[in-house]
Amino acid sequence: MTTKRDIVLQVEDLQTTFFTRAGEFKAVGGISFYVREGETFGLVGESACGKTVTGLSLLRLLPEPAGRIVGGKITLDGIDILKLSKKQMREVRGKRISMILQDPMTSLNPVYTVGDQIGESVRLHQGLRDDMVEDEVISALRLLRIPAPEQRLRDYPFQLSGGMRQRVVGSIAMSCRPRLLIADEPTTALDATIQAQYIALFKDIQKQTDVAIIFITHDFGVVANICDRVAVMYAGKIVETASTSTIFKRSKHPYTSALIRSVPRLDRKDDQLYSIEGQPPSLLNLPPGCRFAPRCPDVMDICLKEQPPVVEISEGHSVSCWKEKK
Amino acid sequence: MADILLEGRELTKYYPVTKGLLQRVIGYVRAVDGISFTIEHGKTLSLVGESGAGKTTAAKAVLLLERLTSGTILFEGKDVYKFSKSQLKTQYRPRVQSVQQNPWSSMNPRMRVRDIIAEPLVVNTKKTKEEIRSRVLELLDQVGLSPDQADYYPHEFSGGQRQRIAVARALALNPSLVVLDEPVSALDVSIRAQIMNLLKDLQEQYNLSYLVIAHNLATVRFMSHSVAIMYLGQIVEYGEAEALFLKPLHPYTRALISASILTLPEDEDQNVQKIILSGEMPSPLNPPPGCRFHTRCSEAIDICSKVPPEVRTIGTQQVKCHLYDDPGVQSASSK
Repeated sequence: MTTKRDIVLQVEDLQTTFFTRAGEFKAVGGISFYVREGETFGLVGESACGKTVTGLSLLRLLPEPAGRIVGGKITLDGIDILKLSKKQMREVRGKRISMILQDPMTSLNPVYTVGDQIGESVRLHQGLRDDMVEDEVISALRLLRIPAPEQRLRDYPFQLSGGMRQRVVGSIAMSCRPRLLIADEPTTALDATIQAQYIALFKDIQKQTDVAIIFITHDFGVVANICDRVAVMYAGKIVETASTSTIFKRSKHPYTSALIRSVPRLDRKDDQLYSIEGQPPSLLNLPPGCRFAPRCPDVMDICLKEQPPVVEISEGHSVSCWKEKK
Repeated sequence: MADILLEGRELTKYYPVTKGLLQRVIGYVRAVDGISFTIEHGKTLSLVGESGAGKTTAAKAVLLLERLTSGTILFEGKDVYKFSKSQLKTQYRPRVQSVQQNPWSSMNPRMRVRDIIAEPLVVNTKKTKEEIRSRVLELLDQVGLSPDQADYYPHEFSGGQRQRIAVARALALNPSLVVLDEPVSALDVSIRAQIMNLLKDLQEQYNLSYLVIAHNLATVRFMSHSVAIMYLGQIVEYGEAEALFLKPLHPYTRALISASILTLPEDEDQNVQKIILSGEMPSPLNPPPGCRFHTRCSEAIDICSKVPPEVRTIGTQQVKCHLYDDPGVQSASSK
């Protein structure tokens, strides 16, 4: 905690747009953040706020040709990812950056054994002989604490429970010891007690391997349990970035505060939940000013006209709101 | 006890598992295994548990979409299984309605909202077109939608609005009980709060009873008057919601609460250590002997793996756990 760790990933003004018949769909509208070694960085927001598209942009896995990164810079360990050729990018995916998706039933191939699927990534990236691949697969299964890995690697996904399947997905992601892991809602499909297991497991793996994790979620409970720092997204923009405890205790952006207040809490009894009126704006037709202005309780004239700049109000805590600019 | 609307007694549902050409029965999945509960007028009972706990099967049984293996359901004191077909159609089904989890699949995409909400009225009542029309507009207003949205199709609405339409449809016949199967889990956080507030307001306004099926404990605490925690087809703890959340008795309830409570990293040392259960829920095809939770329980003692625990009443709570067999042990274990 005393010395700052190396920055693994730096994202500057990333803009991703989908070009559709209905018009330009600005899914990610210029966001910047960084992730350090051994750190878990949360991207939090509601559906369609651009958090998954951000994850896919980092891997350059957008559905082309509709989806394109139209601006910005992504640097992984000093390498500009957007300048890599397609072939070079394949070397990065799965080896230096890997991803865990939400639903393990759809992200695993039902007709291959677990061992084959973990082995695929090991074989591709490490060029190992077949007999050595199996050892690597077993060690990847061990890392995720899957019991009896020698037997499990011959199982098909349908023979495993949801929690075990998600561990297999984790094994594939961690098999080449990546520098950065993007976890897109990895616990959403899991039950509460299994979710707690999975999060504890990932904290442990991070300690062992120093992997940087980007944790994409909509669940503030999960954020509190695993993330060191958090960025809150709204309609394609990051509205606030801060350490997890700052976000919960001293958040400055009206959207962050409203979102936290609207989550029912287990440790107190609420009679009425705070709710944010209205809906997020359409990304096809964004308001000219602050994107949250139409729903904001503290809205001012300037909010409707101009986009608020990102202001750093204390170390590591930045907010994009006109209220803080004054 | 006059205000009990619905009572489930020893509800049991076994699904046969067959094998081979002759479809020989090789075993039974004990989805629901002897659960009892009561729902009072104007109150909410929540069935909470992880997937495979049997909560949806229990809800289906109440909706009579699934015939029980054994057990009785009493609606206003009358045995529902003794109702004739016409009695069911006039006295039970219109009064027990449901809202499903996923508002994207619970509505016919080819019907206009007006017709979706009107359907229960068309099927169950002899109202004229004009009466139905005005009732639909009234319902739209009650759930916070505007009358000019009546001619839209479901795809033109957001998830939260669709769930409002589903609520309007469930309320069309003025039911006494609404079964809410994970009513907000498919919705976004900021929208969830809107729908939960709406459901609570409607409950007060119309003295509705709710049977909520949920896995999110925080949602449950906000909505419920009483709570039943289910594990592998059985209710392990049952009681008044506030008491249960303030002083959970069963080790499984404690683990569930610990898993869902919000703790910030720096609070972790001061607060109670998170309880993380090992292993997963065993198969309901072959539940473990004794207490069904003993394979994952950190407080299991010898007797737990041998003898199924009896239901004990402690305060307003009922708990199925050997730790409470002897009053002396109780104070030691629940610090």
